[in-house]
Amino acid sequence: MTVKVEVVEGGIPHNTIMAAGLVASVIFIYLTYANVLTGTQLFSFFGGLAAVAAITWGSHTIKHLCSYGIGTGVPSAGMMAFGSGVIAMLFATKFGVASPIVAVVLAAIIGAVLGFLSNNVLNMRIPVMIQSLTEMAIIGALVLMGFAAMISGSFEFNPLTAGSVTILGLSLPSYQASFIGSSLIAVAFMLGGIAVQHPFNACLGPNWTQDRMLTLAQECGFLSMITAAVMSMVFLSFSAALVSVIVALVGWYYTYTKYIELSKRDAAAWLDAKPIPELEGH
Amino acid sequence: MESIVFGIGITALAGALATVAGAAENTESDIGSQGDPNSQVQLAPQMGYIHRIFNKAIAGEPPAYGLWVALGAGLAWAFMAMQINPILAIVLGSALAVFVQGVYATTAYLGRIASLSKFGQPVFIDVLKSMTTVTMAHAFVAIFTTVTICHLINAALGHPFPLPLLGLVWGIALGAAGSATGNPFYGKERQYQTQKFGAGVPIAASGNIVRYAEAGERNSLDNGWFSAKLGGPASGLCFGLIVFLELWRTVIFEKIGAGWGAIVVGIIIILVFTVIDRYIEVWARKNYGPYGEPAKEGS
Repeated sequence: MTVKVEVVEGGIPHNTIMAAGLVASVIFIYLTYANVLTGTQLFSFFGGLAAVAAITWGSHTIKHLCSYGIGTGVPSAGMMAFGSGVIAMLFATKFGVASPIVAVVLAAIIGAVLGFLSNNVLNMRIPVMIQSLTEMAIIGALVLMGFAAMISGSFEFNPLTAGSVTILGLSLPSYQASFIGSSLIAVAFMLGGIAVQHPFNACLGPNWTQDRMLTLAQECGFLSMITAAVMSMVFLSFSAALVSVIVALVGWYYTYTKYIELSKRDAAAWLDAKPIPELEGH
Repeated sequence: MESIVFGIGITALAGALATVAGAAENTESDIGSQGDPNSQVQLAPQMGYIHRIFNKAIAGEPPAYGLWVALGAGLAWAFMAMQINPILAIVLGSALAVFVQGVYATTAYLGRIASLSKFGQPVFIDVLKSMTTVTMAHAFVAIFTTVTICHLINAALGHPFPLPLLGLVWGIALGAAGSATGNPFYGKERQYQTQKFGAGVPIAASGNIVRYAEAGERNSLDNGWFSAKLGGPASGLCFGLIVFLELWRTVIFEKIGAGWGAIVVGIIIILVFTVIDRYIEVWARKNYGPYGEPAKEGS
């Protein structure tokens, strides 16, 4: 038997965040398809924005799930999301243009099965478990697909597995120089996995506020996007990678300063080089 | 024969790097109160003990170091793919990974403390400024050495896994070694120097961590200084042995029985260490602490 210890009071309802995150993330992934339509790579940065949208939604799902005191660390939820999401994402990349939609559907099925197993076989009996794990799997798949699209410029299987190495001016095809073959997908996995669990893990406590946590989620997303943009320099033209780096840096700086302001607003006091204040009764 | 000598040389170098990595990792996480000692740092203000300890809860150490090292390795791989010399590529990759670590550390501290405002715990900006940089420096050493180990395993020993995947695997191993070996020196000893040694933490003492130092108020740099003396080297020894024995058994015994030789030797090493650990545990219980009798075998 689990007891719900915290509730979301005020703020944006969870279903609104879920709908906004899902729609924004899928649309942003599809906007990277403009690369194919226009024959450039300049639209790759939309993949990073898709990841930011999904991470923001994911942080709130974790808040929703962990408010039931699931008896485990918050980080495990992030790993769970990406462990189930990576299966859906990899399988879905075979479906060409339909990949993002297939990823969402497939991840939903995998998440629902995992949720059913947790609740009914492992007897966890947490009311939001099936819904949350379904959401987490979709989030994992979308973040991975977003980073894949951002780093390699495409969300389809063939471009993700085919790269080329230049030896003495000759360009040779090489599986190992691709997004999946070089295991950059493992880096994307960890970037997303830590980014999605960190906002709630960092902001949990009696004075949790929704806007502060969601700002931190965006900050984590943009921070991950900066490093993903640097890695994309291998696969994309310099100008395309530069656009990604600039978008990520601007987004990160804005959300980071906003997060510090919100922390200042919520903190009991903001002291610099002061001793521990004396409290009454201690 | 020559390839085996070369392999042993790489093994020794990787083991030495791993020792440095483990020591730096544990000191970094103890300054940031990461891992299991974090629960008491987080609890202290709720019990009325306002403190000036750095509370950098990013994740458990294994996932956090999984990210830092995988990220450092991924970036280093990317720079190497851009024809940058490996040493420079590893330095640049580790530096960018440390930037990410530093940002995560600041947001974790601000978030945790701001969410505790009900209990009057203030945000100390000087704690943030002085300690984040120290954790970043230690994290850089840990990430750089571990990514270098991964590069040696991949480039010199010819391991089939690509660099970022090795980074993920060894990063998690590094975090696990530091978390399991080094944390007791901080969480069980340093935080509770006022309690009787070996007594455990009674409920009444929960959150009552040591907050005042020999002079003035204790901060996390003091904890880093303390754990660098015993916890850091112990973690370094642990991770160094893990890397050294793992590579040693692979280099020497992989040719025997189509790879099964290395697996059998691995199992033997685990059994030997199980016996040693059990012996040390019983010996320590007999000689230290308030335990009258060692617990029954198998407990």
